Amino acid sequence: MVGLNETPVKTSRNFNINNLKLENIEIPEVIEKFENVTIVAENLKIDEECSDFEPSFGLSDFLTRQVNENSNQKLRLQIDGKIQNEVKIYFDFDEENLNLVENIEIIAKENSDATVIVKYEAKENWECYHNGRLRVVAEKNAQIHVIFVNLMNTVSNHFMTMENMVAENAQLHYTMIDFGGKNSVTNYSSDLIGNFSENVIDTIYLGKENQLFDLNYIAQLQGEKSKIDMEVQGALKDTAKKHFKGTIDFKKGCKKAKGNENEACMLLADTAKSIALPMLLCAEEDVEGNHSSSAGKIGEKELFYVMSRGLEKKEAMKLMVRAKFHKILEKIANEGLREYILKEIDERLD
Amino acid sequence: MSKTNIDEINRNIYDFKNKDEYDFKIKKGLTKEIIEEISLQKNDPDWMFELRLKALEVYNKLELPTWGPDLSELDMNEIATYVRPKSKLNNSWEDVPEDIKNTFDKLGIPEAEKTSLAGVGAQYDSEVVYHSMKKELLDQGVIYTDMETAVREYPELVKTHFMKCVPVYDHKFVALHAAVWSGGSFVYVPKGVKVDIPLQSYFRLNSPESGQFEHTLIIVDEGASLHFIEGCSAPKYNKVNLHAGCVELYVKDNSYLRYSTIENWSKNMLNLNTKKAIVGKNAKMEWVSGSFGSKISMLYPMSILNGEGAKTEFTGISFAGKGQNLDNGFKVVHNAQNTASVVNAKSISKNGGKCTYRSLVRIGEKAKHSKSSVSCESLMLDDISVSDTIPVNDIQTDEVEFSHEAKIGKISDKTIFYLMSRGLSEEDAKAMIVRGFAYPISKELPVEYAVEMNNLINLELEGAIG
Repeated sequence: MVGLNETPVKTSRNFNINNLKLENIEIPEVIEKFENVTIVAENLKIDEECSDFEPSFGLSDFLTRQVNENSNQKLRLQIDGKIQNEVKIYFDFDEENLNLVENIEIIAKENSDATVIVKYEAKENWECYHNGRLRVVAEKNAQIHVIFVNLMNTVSNHFMTMENMVAENAQLHYTMIDFGGKNSVTNYSSDLIGNFSENVIDTIYLGKENQLFDLNYIAQLQGEKSKIDMEVQGALKDTAKKHFKGTIDFKKGCKKAKGNENEACMLLADTAKSIALPMLLCAEEDVEGNHSSSAGKIGEKELFYVMSRGLEKKEAMKLMVRAKFHKILEKIANEGLREYILKEIDERLD
Repeated sequence: MSKTNIDEINRNIYDFKNKDEYDFKIKKGLTKEIIEEISLQKNDPDWMFELRLKALEVYNKLELPTWGPDLSELDMNEIATYVRPKSKLNNSWEDVPEDIKNTFDKLGIPEAEKTSLAGVGAQYDSEVVYHSMKKELLDQGVIYTDMETAVREYPELVKTHFMKCVPVYDHKFVALHAAVWSGGSFVYVPKGVKVDIPLQSYFRLNSPESGQFEHTLIIVDEGASLHFIEGCSAPKYNKVNLHAGCVELYVKDNSYLRYSTIENWSKNMLNLNTKKAIVGKNAKMEWVSGSFGSKISMLYPMSILNGEGAKTEFTGISFAGKGQNLDNGFKVVHNAQNTASVVNAKSISKNGGKCTYRSLVRIGEKAKHSKSSVSCESLMLDDISVSDTIPVNDIQTDEVEFSHEAKIGKISDKTIFYLMSRGLSEEDAKAMIVRGFAYPISKELPVEYAVEMNNLINLELEGAIG
């Protein structure tokens, strides 16, 4: 597999960030049925009529083709009006359901309002394969909150493509919990085509053992007064490694658009590695763009303070990580899910 | 509110051209025969001749970069890589031929030498035509000479350092440089010697359809210090000129080097320059860089912090106007404990120009307790220009403090309104904001350059806003 998850603009090859080269990835030749899917959805239309399309960026031609031609789950959700209860789509991997190639499309009609939780979970050490695509079309004035939860184990391959189109005055909010996958590769792109369109991305990632995260987030601002906010908080322990590539692209004509990107990585071991490429591309004068990026270990003073209150170092560290993630986690209104994620954080930090 | 319209920097003081007169100009192109001819003309020692041939092989093997500005208009078959001016090396301006001396007079070099420099080197096309240094420094053992003289007179020192900091295979244009290099400066500051007044080398390319490939090699020995200034300019021609110089800096333990550059090449120049410093224990390397000229620039000075406690700072500004694509930035690699880097980069894009800030901060596994802080700001002066920021931050250990921040935007309407409410005209308010934006950089420049930069900005702002 070559040239996976390429950045929209290349930089020097020596910087090792333009794309991801993975070796020895086993791609299942036959994608069998995946039946362990739970869908909770009231008052909305669900069918399998997902559109086949070429994503603007995508992970690779092969992975795109696999979704278009070989998916074993197809879901198209059409959201009309305000949906009171959360929509839930849960994929649970097990011995009988090891390979998932899914195509999910969410069409949020004009003035619609909904929260959609998409969760992937593989508990035991099954070597699973996941190649998914999630497309969201937020039409005029729509308000959509997507809670994306990746709780795959650390021996599986997890490939995810997300592509969004945000129309006039629509608001699309993603909360992403990205913990799983031996190789966890995500390509996220948003086209903010409408005036006053908004996209918020709040991500927490947590890596351990030999996990590799390659996160490639791209936002293209086209509409006047459009807005993107990326907040990415992560922690890496053991020999985990993360590439974060975040691009805010101000296209010509996106007058008074705003873009903010903040990426912070806590390094919990001296063998963990973090590479970040926070890009700002700008072809419009009347915009405001900011990015910031930071990396380092948990502050000794803060750790000392917490430990002086009677906690052991590991527990103190967990508390600090939870505290860092808190701001994003509290955006998940579902208390049960939030607690479940907190428990997962504790377990993964043990 | 009316529109800011800042034209390109007035280049009249740089754009005068002399007749294309030379003592020798090699035929255009890049072949083994041409390399052999250059080597013969320069009376190279064997090791240098062999290095040139090896570099040509590397050049032919390497591909053009797959990133950055489009370099397809560069045709080496249309570039003469060696032009020897009608002047030998002199140590008195009186002996420099009049038209060449006039060139440097107009650029203010002899005057600056009298008032604020400890030594001056002046290169015209491919050869250094003037080199001089104050006697006090000579007495202290400081060496400041042209590169060819250094190859002849300090063979061991040169051989052990030449193309060692920047290896030939680094990239295609380094290989090109190594194959055809000519001219440049060599500086050696002995242990403990503090050179308080700057040395300056000025590079002028006059000949059309040619290239300049000067090599600068500076060794600041343990406990020594130096401020070195590099200036460059050329008149504008219709066809492409090429600059592929190479700067190798060795900043030994406990020493200090500041390397200031004002690059003001003409708008037909492809500036594909390479600069790198190896910084020793508790030593400090400072880069100050102003990039105003060139059609295309790809310039990323680099500090390699190999010694414990080594530090580096980069302070730079790029100013891109119509037809310019300035892809500049900085690279730093932390290889030892307690190292530190501070980067402050700014850019201004106007009249359709494109500025890109491209960088690398790599904190390696051994660089525990290191710190790095990066700040870059881009100012867009109209809606036909482009400004990109492409920084890579590669952190390979946990005991570090790393932060990076970047901003992009236009002149704030609120700030203009505030200044106007204090009695300034809109023109003056905008000019003040642009000067203020550039100030953190201009204050680090040698004073005569800072004045020149401010004058250039003022000149263009006056009457251009409305």
